[in-house]
Amino acid sequence: MGMERVLSMGERLQRLLTEAEKEAEAMIVDAERRAEEMISKAKDDAERRRTMAQRGYGIDELLNEAEEKAKKEGEKNIKDYEKKAEAVKEIPVEKMAEAVAFVLKEVLPE
Amino acid sequence: MSAKTLELETQLIERIVKKRKERLLRAEERANQILKSAEEEVERIKSESEKQILSLVGSELRAVRGRIVGSAELKGRKMVLLSRQELLSHVFEDAEKRLAQISDGKDKGTDYGEVLAKLIVETALAIGGEEFIVSANTRDLEYLKKNLNKIRNQVKDAVGVGDLKLDDEPIDVIGGVVVRNSDGTKTFHNTLEGRLVNTRGRVEAQVSKILGVI
Repeated sequence: MGMERVLSMGERLQRLLTEAEKEAEAMIVDAERRAEEMISKAKDDAERRRTMAQRGYGIDELLNEAEEKAKKEGEKNIKDYEKKAEAVKEIPVEKMAEAVAFVLKEVLPE
Repeated sequence: MSAKTLELETQLIERIVKKRKERLLRAEERANQILKSAEEEVERIKSESEKQILSLVGSELRAVRGRIVGSAELKGRKMVLLSRQELLSHVFEDAEKRLAQISDGKDKGTDYGEVLAKLIVETALAIGGEEFIVSANTRDLEYLKKNLNKIRNQVKDAVGVGDLKLDDEPIDVIGGVVVRNSDGTKTFHNTLEGRLVNTRGRVEAQVSKILGVI
């Protein structure tokens, strides 16, 4: 009687294992399906954007991005030039005197 | 139920539960791996697509950059150029003030009478001929009247022949002379202002070099 009970339980437990196996397979199949959907959607999106870009549409974001980047680069360049312009104004007195003396030498007859 | 049967049951249950857990865990890990690979593939597709789009619209993007950065570059260069021109103007303004001091005899290092004579000789040589009429400002005319013979001789020495006359009508200059020949066909402006203007056009680059702003 005891052994029969154990065997009966064994069958039920085996069913449990079989169900777990099905559940595991379903889990993997679901993941594969989702993965396929993700990749398929990404491919469709990429193709759609590429086609639009070929026709000159949908590139506003890229253009805006390029414009913003260029503006920042331009502002940096202007700041660099401002520094150069300021440096030009800060000439030592001796250099100025040397330049004036050179001009006078050139203006006056030898 | 005997104790042995109960123990067998317990062992069986524990083993099956463990197996179930392991199987489900493996499946979950595999599923996660599949999704992770898919996410990586999606990123690769997106990145590749962006590259292709950038290559397609590259010329437009370059044009946008060129317009904005080019304009800033132009503005910046103009700024530096203006600054450099201001500095050069400052130098030539200072030089003009110094020339005024020299012509007023306030510069001890320069004999302005000598400068004036050299300017007249230089002009006579340039014009050529035998007779020269010299115009100058009031102060310089006074000096020239007093030293006419001396300067006349200097001109003769340089040109060979030549008579020098003074125009009584003064001209408005800081110094130097305007000389014309007797029939008025040739006039040479050898004023200090004129020489300064000519010099500026000729030596700006050298002055910039001295100032270190090239």
